[in-house]
Amino acid sequence: MDKRERLIQKLRNIAVQTPTAILEVPEKVEGFGSIKYRPEPCSVCKKCIEACEVEALDIDFTVQLPAYLDATIPEGGFRSKNRETLISLLQTLKGEGDVQAISVPTGLAGYGSVVWFTEKCIACNKCVEACPEDCLDLEKQYDLPTIIGDVVTPPSISITEWEPFIICFVCWECSHAAADLAGLMHLHYPANIRTVRVPCSGAVEPIQIMTAMENGVDGVLVTGCLLSECHYGGDDPLAGNFMQQDFVHFWQSVFEEIGLGGRLHIDFASAAMGIRFTEIVTEFVERIKKIGPSPLRGKLEVES
Amino acid sequence: MKKLFLCTCNGTLNKLLDFTKIGKEVKALYDVVEVVDNLCLEEGLTKLEKGLSEDDRLAIGACSSQIIGVPMKQRIKNDLVTFVPLREQVGWVHVEEKESATNKAIVLLSDASVQLDHMESPTEFTESVVDRVLVMGGGIAGLKAASDLHRLGVEVTLLEPSGQNNERYLQTSVFMSDTDTLINELQAIQKTLKKVERFEGTFGEVTGQTGSYDVTLNGVNGNEKIREYGAIIVASGNQQYLPRSAKKMRHGKSERVVTLDSLMSRLKKKRAKESSTILVAVDFDAPMFSVEGSHLLRSTRNLATRGYTIIVVHSDIRTEDENLYREARDSGVIFIRGKVTRIRENEKGLTCRIENTLESMEREVIADLVAIPQMVGPVNETALLADKLGVDCDNNGFIRTRYSKMKPVQTSRRGIFVAGGAKMPMSLSDAMASAQNAVLEAFKVVRSPLTRSGWIPVIDDEQCDVCKACLEACPNDALRLMDDRIVHVPAHCEFCGICVSACPTRAIEFQSHRKESWFARFEAVATTHRRLEGKKPFSFVFACSECANASIDQAGFAGKQYGTGSYVIQFPCAGMVSPIEILKGLVVGAEHVIVAHCPPGGCHHQTGDHLSELVVSFTRDMLREIGQDPERVQATYMIAAMPEKMQKEVPVRG
Repeated sequence: MDKRERLIQKLRNIAVQTPTAILEVPEKVEGFGSIKYRPEPCSVCKKCIEACEVEALDIDFTVQLPAYLDATIPEGGFRSKNRETLISLLQTLKGEGDVQAISVPTGLAGYGSVVWFTEKCIACNKCVEACPEDCLDLEKQYDLPTIIGDVVTPPSISITEWEPFIICFVCWECSHAAADLAGLMHLHYPANIRTVRVPCSGAVEPIQIMTAMENGVDGVLVTGCLLSECHYGGDDPLAGNFMQQDFVHFWQSVFEEIGLGGRLHIDFASAAMGIRFTEIVTEFVERIKKIGPSPLRGKLEVES
Repeated sequence: MKKLFLCTCNGTLNKLLDFTKIGKEVKALYDVVEVVDNLCLEEGLTKLEKGLSEDDRLAIGACSSQIIGVPMKQRIKNDLVTFVPLREQVGWVHVEEKESATNKAIVLLSDASVQLDHMESPTEFTESVVDRVLVMGGGIAGLKAASDLHRLGVEVTLLEPSGQNNERYLQTSVFMSDTDTLINELQAIQKTLKKVERFEGTFGEVTGQTGSYDVTLNGVNGNEKIREYGAIIVASGNQQYLPRSAKKMRHGKSERVVTLDSLMSRLKKKRAKESSTILVAVDFDAPMFSVEGSHLLRSTRNLATRGYTIIVVHSDIRTEDENLYREARDSGVIFIRGKVTRIRENEKGLTCRIENTLESMEREVIADLVAIPQMVGPVNETALLADKLGVDCDNNGFIRTRYSKMKPVQTSRRGIFVAGGAKMPMSLSDAMASAQNAVLEAFKVVRSPLTRSGWIPVIDDEQCDVCKACLEACPNDALRLMDDRIVHVPAHCEFCGICVSACPTRAIEFQSHRKESWFARFEAVATTHRRLEGKKPFSFVFACSECANASIDQAGFAGKQYGTGSYVIQFPCAGMVSPIEILKGLVVGAEHVIVAHCPPGGCHHQTGDHLSELVVSFTRDMLREIGQDPERVQATYMIAAMPEKMQKEVPVRG
């Protein structure tokens, strides 16, 4: 199982409600998106399929007649002149009634279309670059409902005595120092967090967050250096914490959809901000206490 | 200048068509319109020759191009000519409708005028040719081919598997003829091979094209040789194998069950001991080649004449010589049509139960021996060999030829020929004839300068997406992928245009038949038709230039009348027709479009008939979906032997 498959498997494992919305992917988040395919200018040259390293595209021996008939041929036409002529002829001849895709007879070269598999796609844009006919676009949208599918809501459990259990990823530059400083200053904050030190907040991978959730933690907190002060990139828009912020926002929207809303949070503190660190932790623990225990605890209990 | 020559066919055609009206109507389309009485005779030809200059474009409105094209060839000054068969395709088939027929002639002549505007000179190309032939032998046909080529003075290499000798040749060709004839023939051929270069081993790789194939030869002792050959003859021969039923007949389990050939060599010339019965069990389900049948009959007759009791249990026996069967019967061979269902061995011999399918009854026979005739197939290496050479095989693993009647030794790749049993099991005389035929074809390749001309597909690299649809479609290996671009190999091209119909981007256009020219021509036909005939419906017949066009001409000769609103547009091959041309035909106003191709399996370019059927069925699917009547588009085959086809296919309206 490759990494993407593992991640999707974990997402399915932790989902407690069926997602319905197609999510916007924040600007700096790469690797997640949708390929939009226009069959009408496509010459079925298979360049995109050859370029795709994760086999997220394949040839389909059908002709998408509805798209052909709806197409507006741009000024200057398509690059595929024969396709353009075929489409305009079909449009001229269009009669009454509904139109459906038809299959191409076996042995007839030069016709077909391309199909895209959402869950295999890593939004690398290679197919878009390979396409000579401008049929493909990478859109910043993530089709979560298709990927997760139908979710069976786990049985709810009533826990009488419960304390939140939270994994807190701290970067080993500023935020770890801030946690240390909080200790040195003898500041008190709830004992519900377990810190995991990572080189940079940007180094936290989605699969690690999902693994934590899968194991029944009630929330995941990611902390990093102050924005614009990342030790790996500084004020570069692609610095570790800037990027992770967008990623966490993305995963927050995913969590919202799959019934884990509010259980993921990112915040920032510099090495001198011991007080801020205790505030971040306290606020998050309070929030989790309000939301209640992870619904996955019930699932885990049933499974064990 | 654009010139039109009309011929009255000795004052007959102008009785069927109104030449005055035609002349008046087409005057604006041509710079010169000339009417002659007999274009095919010296008088007319001289007039034509005098009236033409170097850069003229010429339309001929006369009889079929098959007829008038021949005497004209020497008299015209370039290839920018189009023929409108006013006699076979208009006058003679619309005898009752002079007015409409005249209108049709005008429509076709306007089409010809547009066609001339788009016509390009054919491309001429010369390839270098290597005067050397490689024979990939292994059997007697290979020896014959090498021997004949040597006699013709062509340098030849005979490549054979290691360890070939007369004994082995005899063993592998035992089914081809009787032993004496085989031995005599072998000895005679071997004598002529003394000066022929022989190479023991296999071949590694073949690159290049007809006229110059680079072949890597791997010798048995590890030596490698790369040689250039103009042509290759594959004569890898046959091998025999046991039929499937052999195991059930207890072959390998009982010593009394043997193959017929091993029995023959064991018994040699021995006469039978008293009452020895041999049951010959032919595999009931496997179809039999006629050489296998002849061999069976020869062998059993031979045994019967020596006093053995022979029972042949068989399904269908095929033979090329009916006398063999008669002689076998006369010499006492008993034939039972049926199937051996069980064999039991005991001290008396072999008890064989036979299901007689003719009389629907079972019977048991006790035999001393059971003989199993072996079957004949291609040698094991054939598939690998064909793969390396890039030629096609049929379902039985034999090398496929292009057209069984007219191209019996041509493989799917130009310059590579097949001789003898590699194509199918053959009798000795057939194998010899096939070898001679292959030799002549190879000789033609290496000895005639490869200058050819024709309209070729022109590839526009800028437009090309390298989707390889054309490679897939080309039946002749005339397009290849080289350095990530499509390259045309003119030496292999048959100018059929099938590649053009496959291209989705219009990166390949066929000279003189560019998409634009088709569109302009269809529009010219439609507007002229409407101007002259008003609302009368019309149809297009997209006819291939081979069988279909011949059939339409024949309709004229046979006087098979059909409706006038039918315009024949000639395509080099029906495989060149794509949905685009068909739909365009409908868009300009045709009521029907009929795509006429050669009979199934009879396409002169191998796949055109099949491809045009696919294109038409695909187009019909599209029409059905968009709410049009799919019946407006039809595919059909036409053939010269069926002149009534046109009458049947073209809708007749009053």
